[in-house]
Amino acid sequence: MKPRLLILTAFLVACAALLGMAAHDAAPPPEPLPYADAGLSEREAAAHLLSRFTFGARPGDVDRLVAMGLETWLERQLRAGFSDRALDEKLAPFKALDLTATETARTYPNPGMVARRAAREGGMSAEEMQNLDGSARRQQIRAYLEANGLRPQRELVGELIGQKLLRAVYTENQLAEVLTDFWFNHFNVALQDNQARPYVLAYERDAVRPHVLSAFRAMLGATARHPAMLLYLDNAQSTAPEGTRTTLDARLEPLENRRGLGGRLAQRRIQEGRQRMQREQQQALEEIPEEFRPRRGVNENYARELMELHTLGVDGGYTQADVEAVARAFTGWTVVPPNERGERVLRRMDRQGERAGFVLEGAFLFRADAHDATEKTILGETFPAGGGLDEGERVLDLLAAHPSTAQHLARKLAVRFVSDAPPEALVDELAGVFLATGGDLRAVVRALAYSPHFWQEAALRAKVKTPFELAVSSLRALDADVRPTRELVEWIDKMGQPLYRYQAPTGFPDEADAWINAGALLNRMNFGLHLATGKVDGVRFDLLALNRHREPETVEEALAAYVPLLLPEGDAAETVDLLLPMATDPGLEARLNAATDEAASPDGDDRADLDDRPPPGDEAFAAANPDALARVVGVILGAPAFQRR
Amino acid sequence: MSTRRAFLKAGGLGLVAMGLGGSPLFLHRTARAAAAPARYRGRKVLVTLFQRGAMDGLMAVTPFTDLHLRTHRPRLAMNAVGDDALIDLDGRFGLHPALAPFKPYFDEGRLAVVHGVGSPDATRSHFDAQDYMETGTPGRKGTASGWLNRAVGLLGHDATPFQSVALTPALPRSLYGPAPALAVGNLDDFALPPSSAMDGAGEAGQSLEALYRQTSQDLLRSAGADTFEAVHVLESVRRQPYRPAGGARYPNSPLGGSLRQIVQLIKADVGLEVAFAESAGWDTHVQQGTARGSFARQAADLAQSIAAFWTDLGALQDQVTLMTMTEFGRTVAENGSGGTDHGRASCLFVLGNAVEGGRVHGSVPALALEHLEDRRDLPVTTDFRAVFSEVAGTHLGIAHDEVLFPGWTGRRLPLLKG
Repeated sequence: MKPRLLILTAFLVACAALLGMAAHDAAPPPEPLPYADAGLSEREAAAHLLSRFTFGARPGDVDRLVAMGLETWLERQLRAGFSDRALDEKLAPFKALDLTATETARTYPNPGMVARRAAREGGMSAEEMQNLDGSARRQQIRAYLEANGLRPQRELVGELIGQKLLRAVYTENQLAEVLTDFWFNHFNVALQDNQARPYVLAYERDAVRPHVLSAFRAMLGATARHPAMLLYLDNAQSTAPEGTRTTLDARLEPLENRRGLGGRLAQRRIQEGRQRMQREQQQALEEIPEEFRPRRGVNENYARELMELHTLGVDGGYTQADVEAVARAFTGWTVVPPNERGERVLRRMDRQGERAGFVLEGAFLFRADAHDATEKTILGETFPAGGGLDEGERVLDLLAAHPSTAQHLARKLAVRFVSDAPPEALVDELAGVFLATGGDLRAVVRALAYSPHFWQEAALRAKVKTPFELAVSSLRALDADVRPTRELVEWIDKMGQPLYRYQAPTGFPDEADAWINAGALLNRMNFGLHLATGKVDGVRFDLLALNRHREPETVEEALAAYVPLLLPEGDAAETVDLLLPMATDPGLEARLNAATDEAASPDGDDRADLDDRPPPGDEAFAAANPDALARVVGVILGAPAFQRR
Repeated sequence: MSTRRAFLKAGGLGLVAMGLGGSPLFLHRTARAAAAPARYRGRKVLVTLFQRGAMDGLMAVTPFTDLHLRTHRPRLAMNAVGDDALIDLDGRFGLHPALAPFKPYFDEGRLAVVHGVGSPDATRSHFDAQDYMETGTPGRKGTASGWLNRAVGLLGHDATPFQSVALTPALPRSLYGPAPALAVGNLDDFALPPSSAMDGAGEAGQSLEALYRQTSQDLLRSAGADTFEAVHVLESVRRQPYRPAGGARYPNSPLGGSLRQIVQLIKADVGLEVAFAESAGWDTHVQQGTARGSFARQAADLAQSIAAFWTDLGALQDQVTLMTMTEFGRTVAENGSGGTDHGRASCLFVLGNAVEGGRVHGSVPALALEHLEDRRDLPVTTDFRAVFSEVAGTHLGIAHDEVLFPGWTGRRLPLLKG
């Protein structure tokens, strides 16, 4: 950069900072949200906001929003400005949350590697290890882990899933967490990939969560460099094809081409250096079991998904030639392995790497010797020969600022926060804000809430909750104390959303059709019933406390009290209307029996039993049957209305 | 709960539902269903079985006349004569002795082996290779749907909630996609809590059924109807303890259980057309053994499960074709731990009355180093898509291979009689 340009840039940055401060310090009172125009009351609007920007309303949340002012609440959510003591306490025992990506991968190595190392340290062959019985093998592995300060990887996975659940249930900064869920899914990686697995926690924490309310470009860049993504979409093994001029070649050429003694000396040293590097690479390769050895050459998987899924969208106007060129632009973007080989890379980097064009940043490594430094044309723009790490960054700049990206992201956000088929005008509006603000995600989300489309009748309760949303919204509605137990997580799996395990880079679908089928729906109902009747391990709540310890005397009372508590969105009527007659209709029993008689041959003996039954509603409801209230609540949680948001 | 007892006494008529006695509507429906002819009888069923971990195809079906094999596998190569010998199929290939239950089907011409099957993408990563095989798009991870889901989509007729079922706890990648698919680890889990487990569960289930029947949200209403129909159907399937036909004996293994439940669904005429089961444990890096050992145990489970499945089907065999698959094969040479490492091609089995069986299809070269892929692996001579498109396409009557396997321009391998 030329000095004058530098000064100018610095000046602009300073101006921007000043503007930002001004905006922050003297924030004018936020404009009113346009819900009244759509005919919504303030309470209805609060409920809608909660249904969109939180994982579900807790008891009293509507009142709290109204008291605070909807606009103020939204601004504070947009700044993630609430303190989070309850959550922090819940997360305090977790061990992996503060480790760097590399530390995590070192501390929680893959089980296959642990078994091999444990055998070696125990002086055993793989066969002898295999011949041990289960408990002896586990003992051997435990001893190895302890002796080396390591921990079992399943603990890491447990903490990963546990922290997601706890954050969703407990954080006061609900919008940021909802957005983290959205953007993780947008930049999906999956635990099934055992190479990426140990990095997933750090990925969400470092590459996704810090950026959900700031610049999209920053999140895009952070995901691009993160080991989880580099491994999951194979870019870590994408290298310039044999014989292609690399960044390293380009750096060394001027030295090699010098005339005279200096040139010859340089040539000899470079020659020696290359030979040494080749020897070391060969040696490093031999340490890797043959089947895991990376093959040389370009891998297009990341480049394709970068454009198809992360930025432009499938119809975003790129070609296969663009995919190939982008793939070449990202050759050499790789990961420092969390082992001895990685240590060697780090030592080498200290000595001479940067001069040769290598770049190291945490676990990310740019390999100048593996980067294709030939010229490229991407979306019509020329990337001149001789590029290095900056080339990929320029590609990300280009993609992040592209109108197709704005459209693609605007649509996904509108689908997530408005409806499965959002109005085109809304998509255009959000895309416009995205482009005008240089991809400021906070501005886009704010625009969403201030758009009249957000408040239209068609948007209210238009979304079907994902299984995770259903589970968390149930826990929040019950004001439950939650431990992230295996059973709780298994319910979410069974409802169809195994967390962090959507294998495809598309992420989980975000349309009702994908979530609602016979098996999933059955499990949703079962979850509601099991949860409400206290049968889910790790979850405690007090149903009577929800109703301020007023005990309903009848089913009608229970419904009248609990339906509005659990469904604070004004659509309680349908559920109550449908359930009440069933609970109270004295003719129901008779009709049931008539049907029984019709289907089965009548049998006089059985009818006698019937007369012994007390008529419904005859007893003190909850007192007579402590589970009855729980079942009413279970039915509400399993009901169609509670599946929607 | 008199009503419930009335039903139990009535003996097997339909009271399934949930404790109290189900809703009147449902009662009529079940009573009707019992009398009515099954709607789905005669529909073709494709059963796919994924052997996860990469089966050693050279041990499953060994080219025993190849003298190179003994050099590559001094400890693992098996003989075609003597105790615990391979079962000679055609003078060149021998079946692993633990796969003996396959032999009669091979001899009757119902079972085909396809050897040298694999993916054009040379990855040796389980994750990548399974992903590519299940999406049906080798080398491309972004394909949103699985190939079996696309197959279901191409069936092009009305369906029940049971049209495609995976006997797995989570939906497999093969069934990701827009066509509805059911993943259920165990059919017994497909129920609302029984009254025995939760007091009053009957009323709760009944209330929920009513709510879903009347909700104003279309999708939830129709899915709700499907759900309760499926629950009721499965209740009736479960009502009698299942007794496999023809003296079939399923191994007491996850795979045996999955295949048994698939037959239950087929016999129940619930509209099953595509089923998915899986078997883990084929990643035999260490001491895979020969006639006995870890490979043999896996093979025995596979063959016994499939044989029980086939026997149990009885007269329904004409409707059903079963195909196995595995993500890749294993190294031709054994490793230092008496096992084999990740390789390239493997073999697969196709069983059905319309199968051109009794043959080892495909092509396996002599195992001299120069014929091996990367001088170490059985080369892929048949693209898995040539087999999958043939089996799914012919058996289920699906055209449009370009939809089933986007980007693939190869031809089907003839395996089924049209």
